[in-house]
Amino acid sequence: MDFALSTYYPIFLFLAFLILFAIAGTIVPHLVGPQRITPVKQMPYESGMDPIGDARKRYDVKFYLIAILFLVFDVELLFLYPWAVSAYELFSEGALTALKEPIFWEVLVFLATLAVAYLYAWRRGVFKWR
Amino acid sequence: MIEYNLVASILTIAIVFGAVQGICAYSILAERKISAWLQERLGPNRVGPLGLLQPIADGVKFVLKEQVIPDHVDRVFYLVAPSIAVVTASIALCAVPVGRTTPAPVKPWTGTVAGEQQFLAQHGPEWKQTVEQYNDTYQFMIAPHLDIGFLFIFATGSLAAYAIVLGGWSSNNKYSLLGSLRASAQMISYEIPMGMAILGVVLFAGSLNPEKIIQDQADSGMWNIFYHPLACILFVTAVFAECNRLPFDLAETEQELVGGYHTEYSGMKFAFFFLGEYTHMVTTSLLVTLFFFGGWHFWGLNFDGFLGVVFKLIIFVTKMLAFIAFYMVIRWTIPRFRFDQLMGMAWKVFIPLTLINLLATLLVKHYGLPLLVLTPISLGLLLAAGWFTLVLPPEPQRSPIPFRPTSPTARTVMR
Repeated sequence: MDFALSTYYPIFLFLAFLILFAIAGTIVPHLVGPQRITPVKQMPYESGMDPIGDARKRYDVKFYLIAILFLVFDVELLFLYPWAVSAYELFSEGALTALKEPIFWEVLVFLATLAVAYLYAWRRGVFKWR
Repeated sequence: MIEYNLVASILTIAIVFGAVQGICAYSILAERKISAWLQERLGPNRVGPLGLLQPIADGVKFVLKEQVIPDHVDRVFYLVAPSIAVVTASIALCAVPVGRTTPAPVKPWTGTVAGEQQFLAQHGPEWKQTVEQYNDTYQFMIAPHLDIGFLFIFATGSLAAYAIVLGGWSSNNKYSLLGSLRASAQMISYEIPMGMAILGVVLFAGSLNPEKIIQDQADSGMWNIFYHPLACILFVTAVFAECNRLPFDLAETEQELVGGYHTEYSGMKFAFFFLGEYTHMVTTSLLVTLFFFGGWHFWGLNFDGFLGVVFKLIIFVTKMLAFIAFYMVIRWTIPRFRFDQLMGMAWKVFIPLTLINLLATLLVKHYGLPLLVLTPISLGLLLAAGWFTLVLPPEPQRSPIPFRPTSPTARTVMR
């Protein structure tokens, strides 16, 4: 199929509709509903206790490690999608048949390097959640 | 040239969005009813016959209630977060077929301009006719013939993490912050196995286009579940974690974190978070259906014309509703995991298993083995993983950490 930009029009149409829906849904209830502000209502809810300090505290570095690892694996996944689509559709017939074998081995090497990185992270104890 | 029909897409948007909102509202009622049956209670039965008007009453209440914005919140992000939740969850519906679809005609890829011209010279009129025929048929999805369909769905699906992070952070409440941290760590962890589990399916279909994947299954009469059972199990489990459904709802463990990231939200903004969650559920149920259960296809029910459109819509929606019911029954069947178990499962079990599964699929595809070989391989891998976890030495128990108040404030509280 030829690339057609018109494929993407409905997405933008839907997006515009959804944004309008969200804005209306956020604003209208404020106009309709009652407003009776009391000091207790304005307090953070911590199971009825008076809160000590605010929530801007330090938190565990584990979350940061997970985020970094996610980046590694997600980018790897992004490389694999185009390969999975084209490897056996595009390169199995016509002029590009010669590329089929090298691509197969390259993907194996790619997965192997990924496995090495994965094992390294495991050995260093990144997946240990304490 | 494939044409664009504005009226058709506006109509489809209206139908799909309205239907999904309705399904969301009534699946909340269904959730309450099913949980009541499983716990031998009655459930909502006061508003209307059998409580069937309950969702409408809930909706009216959400709009008419006082919208509390606490003093301590970061106002901009606090107001934006629920909208992000509902918009990102719904926009993924664009690329999901909900009824009868046909894949767009594909011009054989010749690699050169001369080759393409030669193709057009030889098959020009035929090609024009197929495209016209395609233009004349109605596709039951918002954005048909989107080549990057699944990438779009996964990309928008992962944007939902922003809603959770922003909602939890801007609430400035310790419960919300903890809940949002947990939820975002969980969501990004399970996104990888979810994306990787379907790589095998994509490899066999050679396309990211949902219409083509359904058509392939309909043509061969064999749903993907028969070839990729392990991928299906991994995908469904990862979807549970993505939607924060119960065995994985660590983000809003009521006993520890009150409500998780939406503790400080009330009224319509809370409803938006809820709506986003349920829309996500509907979208992922549709995804499971079209990836592994043949979409609108059912053996022996392959009609053409208007009857076909209606039948395929009914089949698709029935499969989706069956999945939503499955979600709800699981919710009241399996107890919640611990957070370290949850993260361990994503990183130590799911990712290696999906990688090995992908490798097996790749080998079968590359050496042109018969497809049915995949089924025993897939099930064998599942059994092997189960056996391996049994054999593996248990992790050493951690000793309980004694409670030592360190900060001066904590000490005053202790006294």
